[in-house]
Amino acid sequence: MHELNLQGLTKRFGETEVLKGIDLGIRPGEFLTLVGPSGCGKSTLLRIIAGLEIPDTGRIHLDGRDVTDLRAAERDLAMVFQSYALYPHLTVAENMLTPLKLRNLGWTGRLPVLGPILSRGERAALMARVRDVAEVLKITPLLGRKPGQLSGGQRQRVALGRAMVREPAAFLMDEPLSNLDAALRVHMRAELSGLHRQLGRTFIYVTHDQAEALTMSDRMAVMMGGEILQLDTPATIYDDPNDLRVAQFVGSPAINLLPGEVDDQGRVSYCGVPLERRLSGAAQGPVSIGLRPEHLHLATPEQADALNGRVTFAENLGADTYLHVALGDGAHPVQLRVDSHIAAGLAPGAEIHVRHGRGAALIFDGAGKRLRFAETTTPAAQRPEMV
Amino acid sequence: MRAPNQSRAHLWFIAPALVLMFLVLILPILIAGYMSLTNFSLGNDGADFVGLKNYTDIFTKSTYEKMFGATLRYVGVTVPVSVALGLGAALLVNSVTRFSNVYRTIYFLPVMAALIAMAIVWEFALHPQIGIVNTTLERGCGTWLEVWGWLARGCADGFPLWLGDRDYAIWTLCFIGIWQGFGFNMVLYLAGLTGIPRDLYHAAEMDGTKSGWEKFRLVTWPMLGPTTVFVVTISFIRSFQVFDTVEALTRGGPSKSTYVMMYAIFEKAVKQNLMGIGAAITIVFLAFVMVLTLIQRWLVERRVHYV
Repeated sequence: MHELNLQGLTKRFGETEVLKGIDLGIRPGEFLTLVGPSGCGKSTLLRIIAGLEIPDTGRIHLDGRDVTDLRAAERDLAMVFQSYALYPHLTVAENMLTPLKLRNLGWTGRLPVLGPILSRGERAALMARVRDVAEVLKITPLLGRKPGQLSGGQRQRVALGRAMVREPAAFLMDEPLSNLDAALRVHMRAELSGLHRQLGRTFIYVTHDQAEALTMSDRMAVMMGGEILQLDTPATIYDDPNDLRVAQFVGSPAINLLPGEVDDQGRVSYCGVPLERRLSGAAQGPVSIGLRPEHLHLATPEQADALNGRVTFAENLGADTYLHVALGDGAHPVQLRVDSHIAAGLAPGAEIHVRHGRGAALIFDGAGKRLRFAETTTPAAQRPEMV
Repeated sequence: MRAPNQSRAHLWFIAPALVLMFLVLILPILIAGYMSLTNFSLGNDGADFVGLKNYTDIFTKSTYEKMFGATLRYVGVTVPVSVALGLGAALLVNSVTRFSNVYRTIYFLPVMAALIAMAIVWEFALHPQIGIVNTTLERGCGTWLEVWGWLARGCADGFPLWLGDRDYAIWTLCFIGIWQGFGFNMVLYLAGLTGIPRDLYHAAEMDGTKSGWEKFRLVTWPMLGPTTVFVVTISFIRSFQVFDTVEALTRGGPSKSTYVMMYAIFEKAVKQNLMGIGAAITIVFLAFVMVLTLIQRWLVERRVHYV
C-alpha cells in the first residue's frame, strides 16, 4: 500500500498564482477526488503529483520517500488523460505494452529491429500481462485495433488498461470521463468505483463535475482559487460544508441562499422567519442562510414560519420536480424539491407557501465562513431529519 | 422519375474542369509522347516518324548514361540530407524558447531568395582563386589543421576548382541544393510538430521514457509520418527538377558531370532544337516521377498513420 504526502506546494505561472500552498495527505488505497471549477488549480496539482510539472516550493513524499525531484518516468505512478493520449500509430495491445516495454526491458530489448528477437521470452511474459488486463477491462477483442477505430468509451478503457498493466503505486486521472456522452459517463462512474475496489490501489481523480466527486470518492477535496477549501467524505462535504463556496459548488441544483440577520443574542432570522437554534458567539450582523432544495417544503399559510411565493418554473425530472419559486416580493428565487405527484397541480404562476425543514439551515458569515450553532439542541437536530 | 434531358446536367458541371484538365495537362503529355517518336524540330515541317529510336538513344548513349548518373547522384544526396537537416533544424528550433523566430527566418531565407541571384553569390564564393571558400581553406595551410589529410593535399596541390572540377561539381551543386531546400522542409516539419498533442509526450513520460531519443521514437517520429511522406515527395520532385543552379553555374559540365535531366531537356529541345529527343527525355522524366509518386502512395496507404 502506498501513501502520498504533499506539503506546502505552490506554483505560479507568470503572474498567476495557481497553487497557494497545498497540504494534502492521501491515504493508501483511497479514492480521492480533487474537485473544483475550471482554473482552480486541480489539474496543475495532479500534474505536479505526476511529475509533469515542477512545484515552485513544497515537497511530495511517496511512501516516506521524497520524490519531488524525480522525473515522471521515475515515479511509480500512472496517469489517465482527459484526451486519453493513446499512441495513434500503435495497436491497442502495443499501446498497453509500451509502459511495460519501457520499464521492464533492457536497452537491447528495445532496439528497433533486433529487440523483439532478443527479448522474445520477456515480451511474451509482458504480452500475457497485457492480455490479463484486457480481460479485466473486457477489451480483448480490441487488442489488434488502432485507437482511431475505437469509440470514446473503448479508448477510455484502453487508456485505463495502459495505466493498469504496470500496477503503479497510484492512478492519477485527469477528467477521464469528460469526453464521454452522458449515459456512458454515469456507467463508467460505477465501473471506475468497481475497479478501485478490485485493484485496491490509490486513485487520485480530478474532475469539475461535483456529481462524479460525490458518487465515486472516499474523500473529496474541494479546490478553489488554488487552495483546498475542504477535504472530507462526500457526505460531510454535502451536509456540513465549512465554506459558502463549498456549499454553492457541491449539490445540484445549487443550494438556495437567503439573506439573514443575527441579533445580539445569536438568534438568526431570514425573511422574518426565526430559526430555532442560536449561533454560538457570532457577531451581530447580516449572514447568508443556505437551504438545500430538499430542505424546503411546501407549507400551508397557517404555519407560522411559512413564506409565501409564486412558482416561476417547474422542472419535472420524473420522480421529483424542482419548483423554481420567487419568494415574497420576488427578489429571492429558490428551488425546492417536491414529489412529482404533488407538484403536478402547481403550474407556473401558482401561489404557494414554503417552509424550511427543521435543523437544515446552514449559516455563513459575510466572508463565507460557516457559523456553527451552539450545542444546545440535540445532535439529531444537527442532521437534516428529512433527507 | 427524372426526365432524360435533366439527367445530363452533371456533365455540364464537370465539363469545364474536364476540358481544362485535358487541354492543360493531358494533351501536352500526349503531344510530347507523340513527338518523342519523331525527329521533329521547330521550323522543320517534315518530321519523320522514327519509332523508339529516341528512347534507345537515351538508354544506350554515354551522354544519357551520364545524365542519369548526375541526376541520381543529385537526388540521392539532396533528398535524404535536406530531409534530415530539415527535421533536425525543426526539432532544434522547436525546442528553444527564445529567438526561435530568428532561427526560423534565417533558415528559411535561402528558400525565399531567388536561386539565380544566390547562384551568382555561390559562383563568387566558390571561385577557385579569389572565392571565399578557397581563401579560407588556404589560411588553414601551415597550421595544425593539416593533420586533416584532405586539407594537406589541397595545400600542396591546390584546392579543388569546385564547380569547374569533374569530381566536385555535382557534389557542390548538391550542397547548394541542400542549403537552399532544407529550410522549406524545416518549415513543413515545424508545422507537423505543432500538430502533435502535448498530452502524448506527457503520456510517454508517464509510461517511462527517460531520454529524448525514446520520446522521439515513440511519439515524434511516428506522429510526423504524414509530414515526412509529404516532405520526401516534395524534396524528390524538387531535386529531380533542379535546373537553375545547373544553368547558372555549370551548364551541365565539366564533362557532363552535372548534366541532370531537366538541363538535358532544356539543352536538347531548346538550345539544339531537337524536339524529338527532348520530348523523349521528358517522357522518361515523367515516368520517374510517376513511379516515385506511386511508391509514396503505396507507403502512405500501408504504413503511415493519419490520425
